[in-house]
Amino acid sequence: METGIRVLLLTAALALLPGCATVRGWFHHGKHAAQSTDTQAGSPSGTTGPEEETPPRVIEPQVERRQIKVPRIKSSNVELGAFYGVLSIEDFGSNADYGITAAYHITEDFFFQGEAGRSRAGRTSFETLSGNLQLLTEAERRFTYYDLSLGYNFLPGEAFLGRGRAMTSAFYLLGGFGATDFAGDTKFTVNFGGGYRVVPTDWLALHVTVQDHVFQTSLLGVTKLTNNLEARMGATVFF
Amino acid sequence: MARSTTTTRSPPRHPCEQGKDLTRRAQWPARAALLAFAALLAVLAPAVSAAREYLQLFVAEPYLELHTGPGRGYPVFHAVPRDESVDVLFRRTDWFKVRTERGVEGWASQADMLKTVLADGSPFKFELGDQAGFSSHRYELGAFAGEFGGANLISAYWSVSLNPQMAVEVAAGQFLGRFSNGETGDLGFAHVISADTRWSPFLTLGVGIVHIEPKGTLVVPENRTEQTAYVGGGIRYYLTRRFFMRAEYKAHYIFTKRNQNEEADEWKLGFAFFF
Repeated sequence: METGIRVLLLTAALALLPGCATVRGWFHHGKHAAQSTDTQAGSPSGTTGPEEETPPRVIEPQVERRQIKVPRIKSSNVELGAFYGVLSIEDFGSNADYGITAAYHITEDFFFQGEAGRSRAGRTSFETLSGNLQLLTEAERRFTYYDLSLGYNFLPGEAFLGRGRAMTSAFYLLGGFGATDFAGDTKFTVNFGGGYRVVPTDWLALHVTVQDHVFQTSLLGVTKLTNNLEARMGATVFF
Repeated sequence: MARSTTTTRSPPRHPCEQGKDLTRRAQWPARAALLAFAALLAVLAPAVSAAREYLQLFVAEPYLELHTGPGRGYPVFHAVPRDESVDVLFRRTDWFKVRTERGVEGWASQADMLKTVLADGSPFKFELGDQAGFSSHRYELGAFAGEFGGANLISAYWSVSLNPQMAVEVAAGQFLGRFSNGETGDLGFAHVISADTRWSPFLTLGVGIVHIEPKGTLVVPENRTEQTAYVGGGIRYYLTRRFFMRAEYKAHYIFTKRNQNEEADEWKLGFAFFF
C-alpha cells in the first residue's frame, strides 16, 4: 500500500517539475523576463523569437533628485532682562526696588518666569515716633526675594507711534510662589499681578509690571499676612 | 577687510619701497583693530552672517497669511500668493517669522507653515509641540509648590530623557517652615511607566543632600548638611501644546550623623513643559 502511495506521489512530482521549470520567476516574473530580453537584445546573434522582443527604451531617466538641506531654524523663546521700580513694604514704607528676570515662552499664551529682586525697608511709623528705637538692624532691613511664576498673555494688540510705526503689545497676568528674605527670616511668598509688554523690535521688549508679594509675618507682635505691592518698569531681550 | 595678513612669497622689493613698508607697519594696529571690530560685528550680529542660510519655503495653498505678531489675536496684514517663496527668519513658540520675496516680514502660524513645501516639492516638516512630543522628548523643566517634612516647599526640576521611559532628573528646592528653613538638592532616575498616554505615572529613585537651618528662640541648634536617598512616584498629565502638570511624592531618608536616621515626606504639585 505504502509503495503505491510513493509511486503516486513520485509520478505527481515528475509531472509537476517540467511545468515548474517553464516558469522563470515565481514572484518577479515580469522583471526577469524584461531583463532577459534586454540581454538578449544586446547579443549579436539574435536567436530569440520575435514574440519575446521588446522595443528598446527611448528615454533613460537621468534626472538627479535635488537634495534640500533644511537648515536649523533659530528659536527665540527666552527673554532675559532687568527691572527698576518701587516696592511698598507693609509697615516699612516704599523704597526703590531692582532686579533681574528670565522668562521662557512655551506657547503664544503661556510663559514661565523667574525673577529675583532686592529692596530696602524704611522705618515704621512706630520707630519714627519713638525717636531712636530700632526694630531692625541695617542688615535685616534688606528685602530680597525670588519667585517662579506662570504668565498668561491676553488682549494682544498693537501700540502705534506716530503714523508709520506699530509695535505689537500684550497684557499679561502673573501668578506664582517664591521666598522672601526679610527681617532675619526667609518666608514662603505668593506673588500675583499683571503687566503690559510692548515689543518694538524682534529682540527687545519693554515691560510695565505691578505685582503683590504676600507672606505671613509676626514681626510686629501679631501674626498677619502682609501685602507688599511693587510697581516697576523693565527691559528684556529675546534670545 | 578679508585680506590675509600673512604671505608665503614676498615679491622683489625696490629700495624706494622701504618707506612704504614703514607706513604699512604703522597701519598694522589700525588694521588689527578693524579686524577685531569685524569679528565683534560677526559675533554681535549673527543674522548678518547667517543671511544666506535661511530656509526657503514655497506656498502650496492658495495663500499664506501673515500676522503682525506671534499670536492668533494679532491681525492678518498680508497674504503671500501660491508658488511665491518666503525665507524663515526664526521661530517663537508656534509662530514663524518669515520674509517674503518682496521684503515684507510677518508671522505665520505653525498650522499654515505645515502646508508649505521645500524647493523640491516635499512638505516642510518640523518638530511640533504636541502630545507626540509629550511621549518622546529630550528635556523637561518645571516648577512646584508643596510640602517637605511639614514645611512649605518651592522646587524646580530639570530632566534629560535617555529614552521615552527613562530620564535623569536634577531637582532643587527650598523649604520654609516654622521650625527650620533649608534647601534640598536631588539627583536621580525617573521611570515613566506609560509614556504615550495623557495620564502617565512614573517612579523615581535617587540620592541628594539637604541643608537644614533650624530656628530657635532660646537655644539655636547648628546648621547641618546631610546626605539623603529617596524613592518616590507621581503622575504627569498632558494639558496642551508643550505643557503638562506633574504631581509627585518622594520619601526621603536622611542619613544623619546622630544615632538615628530621619525620614521626611515631600509632596508637590506643579507645571512643567518639554522641549
